[in-house]
Amino acid sequence: MAETLLVEPDSAFINDVMASGGADLKKCFQCATCTSVCDLSEDGLTFPRRVMIAAQWGLKDKALADPGIWLCHNCGDCTVNCPRGAKPSNIMGVLRKEAIKAFSFPKIAGTMVSEAKYLAVLFLLPILIFGTIAAIELRHPLVRPYIYAEVFPASILEPLFYAVSALAVLGFAVGVTRFVRAMRAAGVEGRILPALAPTLVEIITHRRFMKCTANKDRYLGHLLTLCGFVGLAITGTSVGIGTMLDLMHTPLPFLSGWKLFANLSAGVVLVGTVLLIGDRMKSPEKWNDTTYFDGFFIVVLAGVVATGILSELLRVAQSAGLMYSVYFIHLVLIFSLFLYAPYSKFAHFVYRTVAMAAARDAQLKAGAVTTQSVNA
Amino acid sequence: MGKKLGVYICGGCSIGESLDVARLMSVAQKEYQTPVCRTHPFLCGDEGLAIIRKDLAENGVDSVVIAACSPRMKSAAFNFNSGMIVERVNLREHVAWCHKERDEDTQMLAEDYLRMGISKAQKMEALEPLAEGISKALLVVGGGITGITAALEAAEADYDVVLVEKEPRLGGSLAGLQKLAPTHSPYTELEDNLVFAKIQEVSRHPKVKVFTSTRIVKTEGQPGIFDVTLQNGGAPFVQRVGAIVLATGAKPYDASKLAHLGYGASPDVVTGEQFEAMAAAGPLTRPSDGKPARSVLFVQCAGSRDPNHLPYCSAFCCMATLKQVDLVHQRSPETKTYIIYRDIITTGQYERYYAKVQNHPATFLLKGEVTGVRNHNGSGLQVEVKDTLLGEAVRIPADLVVLATGLVPNAADNDALRILRDAQATVRKNESATQRAEAEKTVAKLQCHAGTEILNLTYRQGSDLPVLQDGFPNSNFVCFPYETLRTGIYAAGAVRAPMDYARAQEDAAGAAMKAIQCVEMATRGQAVHPRAGDLSYPSFFLQRCTQCKRCTEECPFGSLDEDEKGTPKFNPYRCRRCGVCMGACPERIISFKNYSVDMIAGMIKAIQVPEEDEGKPRALLFMCENDAYPALDLAGMNHVTYDPNVRVIPLRCLGSLNIVWIADALSRGIDGVMLMGCKYGEDYQCHFAKGSEIANRRLENVKETLQRLQLEPERIEVWQFSIDEYGKLPQMIDKFMNRVRELGPNPYKGF
Repeated sequence: MAETLLVEPDSAFINDVMASGGADLKKCFQCATCTSVCDLSEDGLTFPRRVMIAAQWGLKDKALADPGIWLCHNCGDCTVNCPRGAKPSNIMGVLRKEAIKAFSFPKIAGTMVSEAKYLAVLFLLPILIFGTIAAIELRHPLVRPYIYAEVFPASILEPLFYAVSALAVLGFAVGVTRFVRAMRAAGVEGRILPALAPTLVEIITHRRFMKCTANKDRYLGHLLTLCGFVGLAITGTSVGIGTMLDLMHTPLPFLSGWKLFANLSAGVVLVGTVLLIGDRMKSPEKWNDTTYFDGFFIVVLAGVVATGILSELLRVAQSAGLMYSVYFIHLVLIFSLFLYAPYSKFAHFVYRTVAMAAARDAQLKAGAVTTQSVNA
Repeated sequence: MGKKLGVYICGGCSIGESLDVARLMSVAQKEYQTPVCRTHPFLCGDEGLAIIRKDLAENGVDSVVIAACSPRMKSAAFNFNSGMIVERVNLREHVAWCHKERDEDTQMLAEDYLRMGISKAQKMEALEPLAEGISKALLVVGGGITGITAALEAAEADYDVVLVEKEPRLGGSLAGLQKLAPTHSPYTELEDNLVFAKIQEVSRHPKVKVFTSTRIVKTEGQPGIFDVTLQNGGAPFVQRVGAIVLATGAKPYDASKLAHLGYGASPDVVTGEQFEAMAAAGPLTRPSDGKPARSVLFVQCAGSRDPNHLPYCSAFCCMATLKQVDLVHQRSPETKTYIIYRDIITTGQYERYYAKVQNHPATFLLKGEVTGVRNHNGSGLQVEVKDTLLGEAVRIPADLVVLATGLVPNAADNDALRILRDAQATVRKNESATQRAEAEKTVAKLQCHAGTEILNLTYRQGSDLPVLQDGFPNSNFVCFPYETLRTGIYAAGAVRAPMDYARAQEDAAGAAMKAIQCVEMATRGQAVHPRAGDLSYPSFFLQRCTQCKRCTEECPFGSLDEDEKGTPKFNPYRCRRCGVCMGACPERIISFKNYSVDMIAGMIKAIQVPEEDEGKPRALLFMCENDAYPALDLAGMNHVTYDPNVRVIPLRCLGSLNIVWIADALSRGIDGVMLMGCKYGEDYQCHFAKGSEIANRRLENVKETLQRLQLEPERIEVWQFSIDEYGKLPQMIDKFMNRVRELGPNPYKGF
């Protein structure tokens, strides 16, 4: 007989989940109503019930290695139907946060981003960096027409952001490696790379979101946010490379293709994030359930786009005092968005993609695999 | 007999349209020469009743046949002064409403029913109610929460109560508990143990005499006149009471039989009861080494719902365990508490408490089956659980394991005790070696029952209450809670059925109410449930008694004792008036003044059986009055038609069926006999517990009669019938009639 699982509940984990949006965790009494309404549950597989009991029992490793938590798109059907008010979809959200935190590298970054008490410290770093740059550059008087490079020269920003991006990529690489290792330990065998392309198509087209019923209002907001963000990522990267190779010169003319595309993308993200925030705000219940963790990401992202658009308008208006101040905030937010990406909700894009690819490759929902491994 | 019969035929409720009332009247007047026969289109109205009353007052009518609706209807309207003989003929539900209007067969049916009614009324005698000096005091046996509550309920209703407890103190199994699970809104907070206040209250109540450290030496007599001999140390003394509430509660299941759950293997495995004592004594520690218990694992259904132990749910354990978890967390919120369950059964508002206790971060619930409890390298216990909802078998470390042992009723098994007593007598007599060896085996097997007597009844049928297979007193728990097979003795609380302390209090009130009802009915000479209010009772023509003892053995309620010769000694207040003794008696010497072998035989004789060539078969339906007869009334109310060639005779219980009637019917040329009684067996529905089963047994002998008469056995059918099947009844009758037609006419026609 195989060695049975020794169960030792991790009280700290339980308290953490309950304190950060999962207050109803313990209410689950394992009736599996959630499973019977969940799209991800097939052929006797018991998602999200099995994740609920693992989390309830403080079995952190079991709960966080479960790819199911990432396949869940928070459609909310389980929460609507739960007879005990345990809100499984919220718990899945909290577990995603817990996973991002648990797999984070360095660990301290994961802890700092997920807890509200470190918020000031998070912003202090970019404020100091950009404050120092501005202080040095502002020793010379400004001349018209005002351009941002006067105060924040590309020669400094570019290497700075490459460094930030490199750190983020490193954070992601280690985090995803840890996640994949945990999945493998839990018996999930699907390969990731072969299924990556179709998975990305599935993500971009929002097929899963379309299936959501209870939370269907998020569909448009999330779609716009993602598409706009991809647009901004493409322009940002292209323009960055373009200026570095001296093929482009910022600021770009308003009627240039890149500029139009970038402005369009920014507008789309702004509308998307406003829709998402509005969706949460319109019902008091959802607003109460919104965690600091989710809020941090969406507000920073919205802030980045809003300050970006504002900076552009102020530059046209040539209002020196305001335009540099807003641009300063813009830079602080972008810096935060990128540096903290592997530890904030931003990371769900990466973890979810990996989990979905693994599940797709296994030709099964991830649950089948875990159950098989249990039976083996 | 100077009897003056009045026949009154109602023409209302479509009886007048359906039947030729004039021809009916001529049946009464020409065939039976009834001195008074009248009809009225609205007999139960003031005017109709006034006609009857006038005849009673002025014309000397003393026996009344009401041919109208079912005897189950308008019983108040057709209830005249006591001492008046009243027989009801059901022309509405059984004739007019379910058969073809103005039809020859329908008319024949109505006329036969009228003949049967008149024939019976002619033989009926006026009832004389029993009238002895009745004690209205109640004896409550057991001073736990149920007994105390029953005593207080009765005392508050102004009845004297004698409360007997064998232990030195009152309180029963609640006395050892500090806190109780919630039974009041909001159902989320522990409650103070209410039993202490109740002990005070009952001890001070002027209507209650409390006897502790007391046992019952014997209980003699019958409802209304029970003489209970008690003893507490000194000389025995007698208390006269009218009815008894048995509230002896339950004890925990013997945990030493639960070795598979680790009991006995480690001192750190304890029962719920032991846990309560530990919790009351101080901080929770491991009994093995006195170290603080940092994790406590509760195993639910320890013995309960287990075919090898207790097949039933013990009903209190889930709430008790939740309460114990709550107690642990109130003292130390960090202590991990695990509950391993098969199902958490918290009905009704108790679910709120379940939700509350479950919501504690350190409460862990897991559905699964405990397969073992092992010592783990001296560092505490590990509990192995399989088939868990975690998806795999697991081991859970625990400092303390608490088994939620189920409950076993504190009841004496009357039948086992009786067999034991008889076997002991056989051993003493030592008449033959084989008999003695057999009896010694029985004694060895049943020895465990010795000394379990509670009531020590001096009844022929044994010293205590007959019990069901699980040891609870036999009663139809669904239809007649509290009733037992001994009239005037009502079981309440955990001895009656598994229950928690909240339901036990409701039970106590219910049983106290039944006991009060019993003494009040006895005062008026009336029967209790299910023939509540009946004044009739059987009389025994003992000159012809052959001491066969069938009546004393078959009476479901132990009403009959015997003298030394074996002659039955009837205790009328124990009687429920079912007539099972009447059906049992081969000498036919047991009769009621309004129900006898002769009366029913007369009714059968009154049926006109057409000649063979008329093609009109006749079948007799003996129907239990409790389920089958009302079901046929329902068919009538729904205007469902069935074969009009049947004739129905209601019986108090199918157990009162005397097989001579079947012989009577068949020898008169009746083509078939159908018997309808209540369901019997493990989940019996018989209102007299054993009646329908006994009737079925008696019919074995009928086959012999049929053979003697050279008749097909298919002419007789027995049905077990429950009232919810009323929709099927007309088809059942029609099917039977078709079979009777296939068999052809009874060759005895015309004899």
